[in-house]
Amino acid sequence: MNIEAKLGLDVFKIDKERHITIDVEVCNRVCTDKACLYVCPAHLYEIDDQGNNTVNFEGCLECGTCLISCDHQALDWHYPRGEYGVQYRMG
Amino acid sequence: MEKVDCIIVGGGLAGLSAAYGLASEGLEVMVVERGDYSGAKNVTGGRLYLSPIRDIYPELWESAPFERPVTRELVTLMGDGASTTIELASDRFATAPHQSYTVLRARLDQWLADQVMEKGGMVITKNRVDEILMEGDKVIGIRAGGDDIGADVTIIAEGVLGLLSSKVGLREQPTARDHALGYKEILELPSSVIQDRWHLNEGEGAAHLFMGEVTKGMMGGGFLYTNKDSISLGIVVGMEAMRERTEKVESHTLLDAFKELPHIRPLVEGGTLVEYSAHAIPEGGIAKVPKLFGDGYLMVGDAAGLALNALLTVRGMDFAIASGFYAARAVADAKNRGDCSAAGLAQYEQSLRSSFVLKDLETAKEIPHIMENPRLFTHYPQAVSGLLEKLYTIGPHPSQKLSSTVIGGVRKDFMNARTLKELLAMRKI
Amino acid sequence: MDIVVSVKTNLDLQMIRIKNREPVLEAIPYKTGDLDKNAVEAALQLRDAVGESKVIVLTVAESNRKVRETIKEVLAMGADEAVLIVDPALESTDQAGVARTLAAALQKIGSYDLVLFGEGSSDDYSGQVGPRVAELLGVPQIGYARQITAGGAGVLVERSMDEYIETLEAPLPAVLTVVSEINEPRIPSLMNIMKAGKKPTEEWSLADLGLDPAAVASSCETLSNLAEEQDRKHIMLEGGAAEQAAGLVNALLKEGIVGR
Repeated sequence: MNIEAKLGLDVFKIDKERHITIDVEVCNRVCTDKACLYVCPAHLYEIDDQGNNTVNFEGCLECGTCLISCDHQALDWHYPRGEYGVQYRMG
Repeated sequence: MEKVDCIIVGGGLAGLSAAYGLASEGLEVMVVERGDYSGAKNVTGGRLYLSPIRDIYPELWESAPFERPVTRELVTLMGDGASTTIELASDRFATAPHQSYTVLRARLDQWLADQVMEKGGMVITKNRVDEILMEGDKVIGIRAGGDDIGADVTIIAEGVLGLLSSKVGLREQPTARDHALGYKEILELPSSVIQDRWHLNEGEGAAHLFMGEVTKGMMGGGFLYTNKDSISLGIVVGMEAMRERTEKVESHTLLDAFKELPHIRPLVEGGTLVEYSAHAIPEGGIAKVPKLFGDGYLMVGDAAGLALNALLTVRGMDFAIASGFYAARAVADAKNRGDCSAAGLAQYEQSLRSSFVLKDLETAKEIPHIMENPRLFTHYPQAVSGLLEKLYTIGPHPSQKLSSTVIGGVRKDFMNARTLKELLAMRKI
Repeated sequence: MDIVVSVKTNLDLQMIRIKNREPVLEAIPYKTGDLDKNAVEAALQLRDAVGESKVIVLTVAESNRKVRETIKEVLAMGADEAVLIVDPALESTDQAGVARTLAAALQKIGSYDLVLFGEGSSDDYSGQVGPRVAELLGVPQIGYARQITAGGAGVLVERSMDEYIETLEAPLPAVLTVVSEINEPRIPSLMNIMKAGKKPTEEWSLADLGLDPAAVASSCETLSNLAEEQDRKHIMLEGGAAEQAAGLVNALLKEGIVGR
């Protein structure tokens, strides 16, 4: 089962407001590692056609691994508001 | 600003444990939890070691929604193409009172929240705390949804990331070196299949850890816990280790590769995947435990880095519950004396120091350094399995004497300066 | 003006998963009906506009535990009192049984000028309970309210119809059901949630209302509750982007998904 299908099994209550914002400037200018691309267990980060880093925040498991692994403070990352985000049924 | 006796930031095990203690003492307590219910944002591997905390709230555990008591312990050292499993079936572990239980957080935390409410504590879900309010060095309350609420004491149980407390300087931001990523799948299997597959009596459970190839040699390991009618199968991998590896691995692919291994496939066969979850884990040990209290606040659970990965035993929830318990006692005493300053709350750290929480972390203080050695996850699992594979091999040529094989293997893989030095260092753990 | 708002607690449908085509209903969290919160908000606004009024929330359920959070939530929003009708017999009731229970409860409450409902519940969405209660009480009813103003003979109500808006007035007491566009329900503050538990709450059983469990027994029997078997259409669109886009529009039109 691919990662998208796995995420499809979880309950996500999706906010209109994003809870992760990428400072693409920083990614492009100073980051050579792009750890977010491979550390995220939900595989949410992608480089788009324009070569910019993007994130599908809707499938976020809220582990914070991207935030901790980013050395350049390129992420504005906070928890989703109450009533939103992943809701684990088992945990 | 409206005020309550005590605000608890986060309704996980640490926060709820504190709330239960305070509510039992008749204090006015408000737990603010961002999930739809307690446990909605929590993940465990998991197993809860009950032995260290059984006497804390002894009346509670009888009704706790545990999955299975762990009666069989397995560890597998995974080399490349060969792995060695050690299995401990202990009569003592199989006899009540059981020392540890597999658990699922959505069930366990909701149950504990219910117990808090029965004691008159208030657990408010679906609300995120946005800020910890400070007046100088003193924590005076919280801001949530645009409202400011004051408290004599704020117990910070916000979890591993410490987003709110690091923002106001009560702790450092988490670093990759001191944190691991844990993630897992829950696979449903009929209870009878679980018992057959892991050789368990009715209701008993197994815990299985894996080291080596499972993380492609990166710091961490695999785990498998049997629940009532599902298994939790997952990986823990050091965040720094993922970044240091020359050939990067997308974290989620490790679990797929793990499940595909020939000796794992039959274990997960027929399981229906029902949930995929992930969480960060504090692994910095005692060196990274922040200041535990100050004017108007206490830090508990993962937010305070109270977790311990000792390779064969991985703990956090027992530390969380114990720290919540001691926090509640300290707050109740401070309220009685009318002194919620740092001095008034200092008892909290003293009781953690004289309990297993900080004692066990102190005892294990060298473990984080030892675990930073990648050879623990590459060389050793390979060497052990390689040697055993040789012993079990009958080839077309005449065999060596058993003793020569052992001596040769040990000499090659263990009797060199580097390994001896490492083994010597391991005495410290 | 005494305003009674009926609220319903549903399972949080988003949390239900399907196993062997059947919904797993164990340990599913509860949730307050979405439109019921609009009804509460409408009542609060009306109360504050008219003055000298109070808002009573009324709910029926098989257990106190089920509705505990809902009651806390609507009291925290600002309702003044709560009346809970709790009885194990309500476990297997239907819309008619709920309506009978509510009507009896309203008669016991005695003084009410307006009774508000959401136009349908977040789970069954039958839209029956409001109108049934009005019939049982023999009072006027107006459905699909998008605006309620006190005045005229009692209340002035704008109804949201598909193609037009109708304005009606009704004498009091009256039963109204509201649509979501009527307002944006307020989110209660933490302090109000803390204090909600201290507001007056009454709990009555069916016997307290003089109702026999048989009076609320469901007249329907659930024979099967299986998830629909979904089959993909397997429509492959060929050609360039423009052709595929045209093909997609045609396919959606044909399925009646767009352009109704």
